[in-house]
Amino acid sequence: MSEDLIDLDGGQTRMEAAYGSDDGDEDLFAITAKREASVGAIFEQNYRPWDGDFGPRWVRNYAIFRHHVFGLFSSKGHRNYNPFIRLTILVIFIGAISPIAMLFFSSLFGAEPDGFIDKMWGVNRSNLWGQVLGYFPRNLCYWPLLTALVVGGMISDDRRNGTSAIYFSRPVTRVDYTMMKYLSVAVVLGFVIIFSYMLYYTLAIVFKGEGWGFLIDTLPMFLAGLLCSILLVITYTSIGLALSSISQSRFFSAIAFLSIIYGTKLVALLIDLQFETSILYILSPYDCLAHFGQWMLGLELNYSHSLSLSVVSLILMNLVSILVLVSRVSSLEVTRE
Amino acid sequence: MNEISSNKLVIETVDLVKMYGPHVALEGLNLKLESGAIGILGPNGAGKSTFFKCILGLITTTSGQGKVLGYDIKTQGDIIRSRIGYMPEYDSLDPELAALDQVRYSGELIGMNPAHATQRAHEVLEYVGLKDQRYRKIGTFSTGMKQAAKLACALIHDPEILICDEPTNGLDQRSREFMLQTLRNTVQQGNRTVLMSGHVMDDIQEVCDSIVMIHKGKIVVHSRIEELASQVDEEIEISVWGGSSRMQESLESRGLSVRRLGRLIRVKVESEDTISVILKCAVESGVQVRKMGEYEPDLEDIFLLIMDKLGAEVKTTSDLMTSEHTGGVNNE
Repeated sequence: MSEDLIDLDGGQTRMEAAYGSDDGDEDLFAITAKREASVGAIFEQNYRPWDGDFGPRWVRNYAIFRHHVFGLFSSKGHRNYNPFIRLTILVIFIGAISPIAMLFFSSLFGAEPDGFIDKMWGVNRSNLWGQVLGYFPRNLCYWPLLTALVVGGMISDDRRNGTSAIYFSRPVTRVDYTMMKYLSVAVVLGFVIIFSYMLYYTLAIVFKGEGWGFLIDTLPMFLAGLLCSILLVITYTSIGLALSSISQSRFFSAIAFLSIIYGTKLVALLIDLQFETSILYILSPYDCLAHFGQWMLGLELNYSHSLSLSVVSLILMNLVSILVLVSRVSSLEVTRE
Repeated sequence: MNEISSNKLVIETVDLVKMYGPHVALEGLNLKLESGAIGILGPNGAGKSTFFKCILGLITTTSGQGKVLGYDIKTQGDIIRSRIGYMPEYDSLDPELAALDQVRYSGELIGMNPAHATQRAHEVLEYVGLKDQRYRKIGTFSTGMKQAAKLACALIHDPEILICDEPTNGLDQRSREFMLQTLRNTVQQGNRTVLMSGHVMDDIQEVCDSIVMIHKGKIVVHSRIEELASQVDEEIEISVWGGSSRMQESLESRGLSVRRLGRLIRVKVESEDTISVILKCAVESGVQVRKMGEYEPDLEDIFLLIMDKLGAEVKTTSDLMTSEHTGGVNNE
């Protein structure tokens, strides 16, 4: 069909008729309806320069932090967390602040002081310890699961996808990279563990209408618990990130973390039951923290071995984890050989 | 090594040495690179990746000095990396991010304001031909689109030097042509310097004006491509039918230098009579000459010829050993 027969604007077009009624000397055309022709768009490649300024080191570091932490709230534009992970973290957070609801109801119903609700959920040494270091459900379910979900893929994804090249070919140092990843995990864990602890203490005072005397009595205990919660966040973050840095799999780091937390506890428990010695609890990160926490809050110690062993073990666990983390981050490549 | 006049030097190294323990990766590299498109060639293990790491300021050099855009590679690596765009050879993208988010994030990692990074990400994604796909997850991209996205990540901050490590790796013909066109535009329109490594000589030849050839950690060639091509011997290429081996023997018996690839025979032009000698040989050998013409050497020929002269295709382990390893015994 010749070009003049094509109606690019759409509408009607002329079509050469196959058979005519006259002698054939004249051209015959029929007018037909035609779909609008698509002419497409011509791609013109133009290089556009950019003349902006770069922010300082903290701007780059904040970008890493924001990418990982904001992803929990909105995966659009940030690191993608599976909706199941986000939902589980929400459930854990709600679980962690559940005593607040009990305190709220007790204040509504006017429960008597030192009654059942107050003993179970009110502010005292055991409950402040339990809010952070209680075994069930917090250290059996909540905190290990939370850590496993957050650290899974934090560094291993960069190793698997090769995205470490995106970081290190830019002015991001390995120290900045490690610190920001560490801070991102610690802030998420801290938000759930430390924030829920602080919220619990503050709202307990508000709901029960306690005064300055109560505050002065309980503040040292609260601060001891706060220190324990910070230690717990640091320890779990160190171990979790170290495991994330040694593999290319999200699943491995998550499962390995849970195995370490539960496995060491189980082995120590079995040895304790069989031989009545608590010494193997120094292998369990949770028990070292719990032992230290009991001492800090002035509770009766559940462990027969020396506290210093637990403290030394805790320091060694953190040290080894950070050494592994640093060494594995150093091995992340920009160019692959 | 041919010297290149230094008007605007972008990279300069003086006696640059990098050793991994006793292994010598770069041995006294003296290099002066002007702005433009430069191809970095060399067999596997030659030291190309180490060279890139050195100029990005990512690894500490053992000795020697180097400057990129006037900044010291030993002490000002972070400034250098903010002015260089690096496109890695392998996958370096998060498959769960949309292309726009990945490019924007790579801009933020250089220190760009998020709003500026977003705006610029739109621009560079359009430039690399991913305008319509910018909201798609990278995991759903084809290899060509992934390569384009990597290029966009490298270009987001409008770098003065763009380092592309095998940019056409795994691309089909259409994507390859587009990638090379984009790199050419970056040099010509954008007036940027492109350092491109690769194994496909045609790709380098299409984009680059000059090449640097690294072999066993040393620079063996640094010259403009046309200058190198002029140094390669003039050859006549013939396509023969029915007795290529006989033809080869006949040509060689008359003292001609011959390179044969199946039915294709390339004969070095020794004198004006070479063509008539070829025809005589064809008659004597009883073969048909179906095509005859002057052969234009390409970069691959130059590369093979130089490698042939150097006497090694790839770096062997013994090449990497120093006297510290061998106890002073010469491994050759």
